[in-house]
Amino acid sequence: MGKSTSLERNVKRAPGVYGWIDERLDLTAITEFACAKEVPEHKHSFWYYWGGISLFLFLTQLVSGVLLLLYFRPGADSYDSVRQITYDIDFGWLIRSAHSWSANLMVLAIFIHMFSVFFMKAYRKPREFGWWSGLVLAGLTLVFGFSGYLLPMDDLAFFATKVGLEIPRTIPVVGPFLVSLIQGGDSVSDVTIQRFFALHVVVLPLIFIGVLAFHLWLVQKHGNALPPDEELKPESERRSIPFFPNFFTKDLAMWLITLNVLAVLASLYPWQLGPQAEPASPAPDGIHPEWYFMSQFQVLKVFGKLMPGALGEAAGIIVFTVAGVMWTLIPLYDKDSARAVQARRATWFGLVVLGAFIALTIWGYADI
Amino acid sequence: MNYPVWVVPLLGTGWVVGLIAITHVPLSHFAVGGGLFLPWAERKALREGRRDWMPMLKAHSKFFLILTGVFGVATGVGIWFAIGLASPEGTSTLIHNFVFGWAIEWTFFLVELTTAAVYYYTWDRVSDELHMKIGWLYAASSILTLVIINGILSFMLTPGAAWLSVAGTGNEASKFWYAFFNPTYWPSLGLRVLICGSLAGIWALVTASRIDGYEQPELKASVIRWSSRWLIPAFMLMPVFFAWYIHQVPVEQRGLLVMGISTIGQGVFTQVTRSALITVMSSATIAAVVYFLAYRNPRDFGLGHAVAVLAMAVAATGFTEQAREMLRKPYVIGQHMFSNGIRKTPDVERLNREGYLTNSVWVRPEEKELWAKLDAARVPGAVVPAADPGSQDAQARLTRGELMVRGQCFACHTLDGYRPLRRLLAGRDREAIGNTVKMLYQYEESSPYRKYMPPLVGTEAEVACVVDYLDSLVNVPGAKKGAALAAAPTPVSAPSAGGKTK
Amino acid sequence: MKKDSNKVKPEKADGPGGATMGRRGFVKAGIGAMSVCYVGAVAYPVYRYLAAPAKRAEETAKISQIALPMDKLPPAGTALTFMFGSRPALLIHLADGTKVCLDAVCTHLGCTVKFETDLQRIHCACHGGVYDARTGKNVSGPPPKPLKPYKVEFANGQINISRA
Repeated sequence: MGKSTSLERNVKRAPGVYGWIDERLDLTAITEFACAKEVPEHKHSFWYYWGGISLFLFLTQLVSGVLLLLYFRPGADSYDSVRQITYDIDFGWLIRSAHSWSANLMVLAIFIHMFSVFFMKAYRKPREFGWWSGLVLAGLTLVFGFSGYLLPMDDLAFFATKVGLEIPRTIPVVGPFLVSLIQGGDSVSDVTIQRFFALHVVVLPLIFIGVLAFHLWLVQKHGNALPPDEELKPESERRSIPFFPNFFTKDLAMWLITLNVLAVLASLYPWQLGPQAEPASPAPDGIHPEWYFMSQFQVLKVFGKLMPGALGEAAGIIVFTVAGVMWTLIPLYDKDSARAVQARRATWFGLVVLGAFIALTIWGYADI
Repeated sequence: MNYPVWVVPLLGTGWVVGLIAITHVPLSHFAVGGGLFLPWAERKALREGRRDWMPMLKAHSKFFLILTGVFGVATGVGIWFAIGLASPEGTSTLIHNFVFGWAIEWTFFLVELTTAAVYYYTWDRVSDELHMKIGWLYAASSILTLVIINGILSFMLTPGAAWLSVAGTGNEASKFWYAFFNPTYWPSLGLRVLICGSLAGIWALVTASRIDGYEQPELKASVIRWSSRWLIPAFMLMPVFFAWYIHQVPVEQRGLLVMGISTIGQGVFTQVTRSALITVMSSATIAAVVYFLAYRNPRDFGLGHAVAVLAMAVAATGFTEQAREMLRKPYVIGQHMFSNGIRKTPDVERLNREGYLTNSVWVRPEEKELWAKLDAARVPGAVVPAADPGSQDAQARLTRGELMVRGQCFACHTLDGYRPLRRLLAGRDREAIGNTVKMLYQYEESSPYRKYMPPLVGTEAEVACVVDYLDSLVNVPGAKKGAALAAAPTPVSAPSAGGKTK
Repeated sequence: MKKDSNKVKPEKADGPGGATMGRRGFVKAGIGAMSVCYVGAVAYPVYRYLAAPAKRAEETAKISQIALPMDKLPPAGTALTFMFGSRPALLIHLADGTKVCLDAVCTHLGCTVKFETDLQRIHCACHGGVYDARTGKNVSGPPPKPLKPYKVEFANGQINISRA
């Protein structure tokens, strides 16, 4: 009965349509709740927006993705249908560029969000699950990117996918088997497009939305984390603004700006479509995976050169696995941060990971 | 022709100018707008007895001095160095016409620089009245630099019929004032002043966003609200001036606006669509953010949002400038000189008759002689490649082709970077390349390239060399990485050491 | 935590109420106009994207046959470019007397193609695509598909061209 009493409680409601709906759904309760929420305000507040920006870009992906779905035909026809979208359908080029650019920006925003969470030590108790669910979302985004990249099936997509699949292929024992399962045969083909398509538009979104809901619920439950240097301040010196409308407006402004950046990129630098992939033809010069896979790719390449054969591959995989596990489990062993001490070691670890990521990516591009 | 060709790999000379200009334009417009903003704000503060504004204004003027006096000035001079190298023929024409104009601008510029420094260093040291006077002097001189330079910039798009009628006669200077107050002078000046005003407001928002809204809520609110208002004129008048501006641009060039870019579907991807989309969205975003965030809730307006607004305004300005440059295609000086420095008349006709390289002062006479001898030994008009790629003739043809391409294409294209010739021609066989080249050479009324590319000029023999060279770029596998000139001693078709890395 | 939910006091209304209302109305109208622009900038491309097939179908349905007067027939070895509805088309009179009519929109990126009299073939100026003039088959260059042929018939002193 709790719910119905809250609906009937004596609150002043606005007249008109809003009032009518409000009376039935009790929107006022939501507003009141949102107004009561506080978002801390300090010199690192800027980083709070990046989760919201990632979320916004995900929503753009949903909308533009559904639009592309209207004309895209997976399988043998996929190149031709993307060609149609790009050149025949009015503004198809724009929708497609928006989807591609938004994907890249989303990966970027998630990386920024992840690193800012790391450096603000926002993974500390009780927010461990926030960190882990966030990592799952980041991983899913990368798989989204990888599976979506193949769908136009131009030569760049084809060879980049082939090259990208080299990474899982190096996993000892199961690698080759896994890759042939992923691509549905011993090479990238129409079958691969079909299954990447299913993955990209059904499986991944379903999982993603579920994990995202959990992630957002946690954020809502725990509130924004304070960085250690803010936590050290006495309560009276800390500042906060109400979530609604103050922070909400600022968040919305960031969304608008993001949309604007996306529009500029998509219309000024439209995504091109290369010639149709011909599996028999030699790979075009300088083929490489997307920028967010470049560092891993480069690690494998370097180890492959240092230690030829399976040994190098195994070493590369071990490096990834160790780094990944350490990254994931940071909330469990970073005990300094838990005591709200400036955790130098964790910061250094983060800086090393970030530095290695950037350096390897640049090295990868220079090494094409 | 008269000058050596500056080759910048990957980026192209255009982007060297472009990158410097992208930095310079927001700063120089800020220098003018901020010049008005500072004394105006000081006047308001004095009249209303708001001493609390002064520290903020002082901080802003320091920031202003460093930004415009160091970076603005350095990039401004940088543009001159860069355009002199990138487009010597065009720069020379401008100097010949406007040397007097530049002398005037230089004077104002010196006054501007001096007063900016004096204005900052005399805060709290001279009487308020004198300080105000220095401020206004700065504002006047900085606006006058814009008044002058705008004449030259708008001239490049629309030299005007009067000037064009004497262009190339040696009497160009007689039409100085016609060239200066050319058809797009006034709308362009209006647009630039509006941009200056809004950039001044936005830069002030950046400074104001750093005031602690909890310590001095009233100060922050008043400064932010007053600064926000500087954007209003731009939002109200920009469309009017823009329409006027477009109206003054010659019809042939306006055609570019509705034309689709040929690398992507035609008609669906016009410049108009792109610029409309971006301009409308960016203005709306800036307006919304400034109104809802800064104006309505100044206390919480932080540096992050201020910088985001600034970045967007800079991007919007940059895009407008780029669109203006696009509009000028295929000319560097409207209807007079093509982007590669070749004059529409009389250069095209003369070079077609006498030859492009023949007229270049940077080709050795003995080379010219050799080429003439080789041409004479060949059946006239034959476009077939020499049987032996290692022969002297084949080598000479590749060299000539490369020189032609450098001189006539490299103003806008690069080999592998921006507008890459190799990629644009990829997939075409020798014959298809020949067709494209022929089309640029014949430059018929119906040619789709006519709207944005200059004609290819030279004798038929020279044009045939261009085909040879472009074909070697695209279709000779060994020539992938090295350029013919660089590899001159060895045959171009020799396999390169690099090969494929993946 | 110190809660500072109240905003900075609203801007002082300068002048009498009427002026303030006028300004408020102006701001409201401005916000409204901006919102319309914004929504328009997003909605217009999406609308055009969704409506594209309908528009195309409409254009196709509009005209299925046109007639040209006999004197428009180009001399042997040349061709005529004319508009079939909203699309350019080529009527080619080959040297051996065969008459062929083809769609003149390049299947690569939609430029208008041209018949080259000297080589008796169809050429696209934009990216150098070449088609066979007899069949419309894409012979060289980037075009992915052949040009679509139209049916040509001669009757009552007219050239009747219709969709094949």
